Amino acid sequence: MSKMVKTGVFVLLLLTVMVLPAMNVYSQEDMRAVDSSAFDCPIRPPAVFAHDDHNDTAGIDDCARCHHLFDDNGRKIEDESSEDQSCADCHAQEDKGTVPGLRKAFHWNCKGCHLQQRTGPVTCGECHVKK
Amino acid sequence: MTSLYAFVAGPLAWAAFLFFFGGLCYRLLSMLRQVRQSEPFIFSYMSLRYSLRSILHWLIPFFAMGWRRNPILTGVTFIFHISLIAAPVFIVSHVVLWDEAWNLSWWTLPDAVVDVMTLVVVAACLFFALRRVLRPEVRFVSDASDYLLLVLTAAPFVTGFLAYHQWPAGPWMTIAHMVSGELLLALIPFTRLRHMLSGWLTRAYIGSEFGAVRHARDW
Amino acid sequence: MNERHKEPSEIMDDGVEAALSRLTPEKIQAVINSVLKGETGARFKAYMDTCIHCGLCSEACQFFLSRDRDPHYSPVGKVKQTVWPMVKNKGRVDTDFIRRAVRIAHTECNLCKRCVAFCPFGIDIAYLMTVVRRIIHKLGATPLYLQDTAHSHASTMNQMWVKEDEWIDTLQWQEDEARAEIPSLRIPLDKEGAEIMYSVIAPEPKFQAQLIYQAAAIMHVAGVDWTMPSDIGWDNSDMAMFTGDYEIMGRIKRTHFEAATRLRVKKIVMGECGHAFRSVYDTGNRWLGWAQPPVPIVHAIAFYYDLLKTGKLRIARKYSHPVTLHDPCNVVRGGGLHEKARYVVHQLCDNLIEMHPNREHNYCCGAGGGVINCGPPYKNARVAGNRVKAEQLFDAKSRGAHTLIAPCHNCHSGLHDIVHHHGIDLEIKFFSDIIYECMEKPDGSE
Repeated sequence: MSKMVKTGVFVLLLLTVMVLPAMNVYSQEDMRAVDSSAFDCPIRPPAVFAHDDHNDTAGIDDCARCHHLFDDNGRKIEDESSEDQSCADCHAQEDKGTVPGLRKAFHWNCKGCHLQQRTGPVTCGECHVKK
Repeated sequence: MTSLYAFVAGPLAWAAFLFFFGGLCYRLLSMLRQVRQSEPFIFSYMSLRYSLRSILHWLIPFFAMGWRRNPILTGVTFIFHISLIAAPVFIVSHVVLWDEAWNLSWWTLPDAVVDVMTLVVVAACLFFALRRVLRPEVRFVSDASDYLLLVLTAAPFVTGFLAYHQWPAGPWMTIAHMVSGELLLALIPFTRLRHMLSGWLTRAYIGSEFGAVRHARDW
Repeated sequence: MNERHKEPSEIMDDGVEAALSRLTPEKIQAVINSVLKGETGARFKAYMDTCIHCGLCSEACQFFLSRDRDPHYSPVGKVKQTVWPMVKNKGRVDTDFIRRAVRIAHTECNLCKRCVAFCPFGIDIAYLMTVVRRIIHKLGATPLYLQDTAHSHASTMNQMWVKEDEWIDTLQWQEDEARAEIPSLRIPLDKEGAEIMYSVIAPEPKFQAQLIYQAAAIMHVAGVDWTMPSDIGWDNSDMAMFTGDYEIMGRIKRTHFEAATRLRVKKIVMGECGHAFRSVYDTGNRWLGWAQPPVPIVHAIAFYYDLLKTGKLRIARKYSHPVTLHDPCNVVRGGGLHEKARYVVHQLCDNLIEMHPNREHNYCCGAGGGVINCGPPYKNARVAGNRVKAEQLFDAKSRGAHTLIAPCHNCHSGLHDIVHHHGIDLEIKFFSDIIYECMEKPDGSE
């Protein structure tokens, strides 16, 4: 489990294409939770996520921090971001080669960063809040 | 809080698994060393065939005379132990963690099933505790440690159940769940919970004796 | 005061009391620790660490069941009252504790191992009780009557103080008696190179000499090439095993095996005794370093089985009464002879009325493990401690059993006490009694 920290770093490098599949810029200020519609059968409530509030609080300006892009060799492409794509466009349900599956990508992206920054929710119930 | 989580999920988890696996290995090796030193004859009586014969017969619920004479306890014991092992190993929340940390993943049980198993474990612990109080022959041989072991065993399941259902909301129940689970793992080799290892060996030895020497059933 | 109403805790044993009066806490502690540290190992530790105190073993014990489920009599309850405090207090226990431990380990456990088959972990509580007995032995506090038999073993190499001339005289006497019936019969003494050495327990020449007569008749009729040793080694019994005096046990077992080696026999056949089988087949040989007995051991049950199966022995007319069969722990849980015993029964009798539970799960007679040998002070407590056996016997009787076959000396005596005490009208016999009665004999011998 301690690997979580390490993998968190790894994750950030991977930067997911995901977070907001099929989501466009205009709706983000209203966003309250991660869109889980790409999951075949979601087993937990979608993760709580207020996009703009989160980024204000966290001081994130660079979209590519989350909306990352990787080349074929698995290296992160700097200065390019992927907010025009859905996370699920790259991340399938399951791992594919070095590309983590959608669930793992979300977890790495969110929880990995939180652990690295030592702030933000990390336990299951803090994000997957039951209604 | 995130730092605390990082500690509980990091170094503490490493320590728990180290104590658990290291402790069990240590117990096994020291037992084998002691057998070689003082009772090497045990090795000459061990028989794989009769060890397995004995173990398998006892793994069938209600087969051994000892099981049949205590049908309720037997039923509870079997579903308790199955749930105790299966719930934490096959719950999706744990497999996710293994997957994200080590890229290891395996088949999982539906959450609803694990939920029931968790309640089974807790209820079984209550049953065992009640049985300790109510059955004179069990009360006679029970002391505080027996009840503490039940609390130790039930704790991760109680906290896990509450954390899953988010009563109360927030991280603390999950942290308590992790800590109690780690405590249980770490203490298994150093308490009578080590029967999870030694029980197979004592059964194997007596199974060998009964099979190869005594030519009699031991179930 | 009427003995019958004495609580077990009120029983006074002069030998135990004398020993306790000489003990000091330091001596007790030193002895306990020397045994626990010096003589136990991984097995003892594993049993201590694995027992989860579930109490499932209770159902196995005839003392527990007979004493109205009093927890003090459950197998794990006995361990709690003996071994646990010794370990926990690192041997610091007082003489009252030792007095109680003597009573429990020597008179309230038959070492029958029924509880082993009830424990999910297969914890051998009988073994733990033998560790207690070993400590008691080293404290010199073994019950008086039992200790006397161990002394006899040490001095005479037999259990009953039988002197050499008495032994030979008894054999000749029985040979003479038998020759009146079968003129060509012999009891061959010291016949080197015979196929079989027949060994008995000392109570046979001492007061059950007709058993030797019967055995000789069976051997003769079956045409067996057999012999008995005139010198020490003829006794296969072993009370030292039950007192925890393993040094003496080793000596008498070695003597017994050496007698067989001296006579260059192929195997040893022994009479219908359970504890002797345990000693020769399982315990004594191990003490001497033999995983299996150095000379093959054939218990009487297996021997009769072979003779009947191969037709060397033929039954002239079957035993007319319905019988029930007691499964002695030492040859059933200790040797797996229960099916052979049933084969023999069916060859001899038409009507076997089984007791339940039976075979490996049969209730102990309550006498074995040296308990009956602790003598008169404990007799009433012993009989009271085996009510379940009485109920089992009564049940068999009520279903028509007339004769109780008990192919073990200890069982025989213990069951006799139970039958007598409760007035259960069962005739108790050995296999050899019935075989002798029913077998085909040479013409004109009857």
